Amino acid sequence: MIEVVDITKSYGPVKALDRLSFGIRQGEVFGLLGPNGAGKTTTIKVLTTLARPDSGRCIIAGRDVLSDRTGIRRLIGVVPQENNLDRELTAYENMLIYGMLHGVSDLGKRIGEALEAVDLLDRKDFVVSHFSGGMQRRLILARALLPEPSVLFLDEPSVGLDPQIRRHIWDIIRKIRKGGRTVVITTHYIEEAEALCDRVGIIMKGQLIALDTPANLKASVGGYVVEYLDKDGKLFQEISKTRQEAHELARDAPAAVTVRESNLEDVFVKLTGQRIS
Amino acid sequence: MKTMPGWYPVFLREMLLFRRKLLRLGYLFSAMVAPIIYLVAFGFGLGKSVQVRGSSYLAFLIPGLVAMSSMNNSYSWVASSLTLNRLYFKTFQVFVQSPVGSTSIMVGEVMAGMVKGLFASALIIAVGLLSSSDFSVTLLFLVTLLLNCFLFASLGVITGMRAKSHEDTATYTNFFIMPMAFFSGTFFPVDKAPLLLKAVIYVMPLTHTNVLIRKASLDHEGLISLLVLCAYAAAFFLYGARLIRKYGE
Repeated sequence: MIEVVDITKSYGPVKALDRLSFGIRQGEVFGLLGPNGAGKTTTIKVLTTLARPDSGRCIIAGRDVLSDRTGIRRLIGVVPQENNLDRELTAYENMLIYGMLHGVSDLGKRIGEALEAVDLLDRKDFVVSHFSGGMQRRLILARALLPEPSVLFLDEPSVGLDPQIRRHIWDIIRKIRKGGRTVVITTHYIEEAEALCDRVGIIMKGQLIALDTPANLKASVGGYVVEYLDKDGKLFQEISKTRQEAHELARDAPAAVTVRESNLEDVFVKLTGQRIS
Repeated sequence: MKTMPGWYPVFLREMLLFRRKLLRLGYLFSAMVAPIIYLVAFGFGLGKSVQVRGSSYLAFLIPGLVAMSSMNNSYSWVASSLTLNRLYFKTFQVFVQSPVGSTSIMVGEVMAGMVKGLFASALIIAVGLLSSSDFSVTLLFLVTLLLNCFLFASLGVITGMRAKSHEDTATYTNFFIMPMAFFSGTFFPVDKAPLLLKAVIYVMPLTHTNVLIRKASLDHEGLISLLVLCAYAAAFFLYGARLIRKYGE
């Protein structure tokens, strides 16, 4: 569905993307996981025609992102990192303008359905400046889905939201995925990548350093982590393949120990020596 | 089904926002305050003892104030809102990530700027018609007014697309718009200005608006000004549309 080949993008002396390549299958939820400044948002900007790469090639559903920008814009929906709503307009007016820009037919009915899907139908005539951050995020999701795009790009969809609202956003994304739509998510939240994505690409300094299902990525570093604080208060971690091996390691540990299943943070630490957040 | 023109949602958005601004009386006040001060200070004060080309100074001043006010309002609102929408609120990105073409976005923005310029002009025209019997609105006056609004709304798009910060728009206004307001024949005739200054004055588009808007009918001088305005309008429009087409982050 999406093919990214060797894209490079620099902002002055800073190389945001460095020969980045990956592919995304139709109907999957694909996550780009990495710390702030890794190149996730730049990747989304390139794929959604907002930024032009210095070199490389991107194809979405057989269309070239660089040469067929209008064609690409008919295929995609974008939820950017910022809540780029018109705060002085109502929810309905924001949806109306977006729907008209994308040539959505039967617009009144479709707006009603989209707002209902994100539980905002009763707020349709409220000015957006009165909305909470979570409500604005839901409205942007509804807006992006209005033209029924083949590919939905979500740039840090739950950043800055409290855990309860984050889970509500995740539920909406899960519903979107059931419709068979291809979804691309960038995130620096480990739990978000694990909860939503079929496959995850780990990105660092504009390069893809790993790509697989969350389960395979975790298995690649070992399934369990033994953790304890040593006598200097420094966190000690050891990864083992099996639970039994982990418990054996724990028996020999000099302090109180935690044994847990590995997560994508452990994968990132193993690959880069750094933490994501 | 009838297809909606691409510029319409861009224009509609601006009009919905404009309607909300109008409901807050601050907008009306800010659009009116400068020209009314000029009208009272220069027109009703100085104007009583000065005549220009055999007519009252007020009859000379009012078309100039209409030209200035239409320039300011068409330009400033487009330049300022586009800069803010692009750099801070990121709502401009909604347009460029939609299938609507760059020319349509340009048309929508320019038409919205024109409405704001025409609205402010209508208020001055109303005051002018009430206060001076020498002032009248001709067809040429209206054509010039529309052209002036189009030209400066297009220039507003250029500023809005090029500005690197909101402060930049103030810099453009101080260096280009403000001198034009005062030295392009709004307050005094420029035909007797020193030769070197005159050359600079006649490069400014507002000078040609002021020439044309005061003509009772189209003569040779008016035709040249009309052509200059058309050339500026076309150049600004095309360049603005190009900046939108080439927009990238």
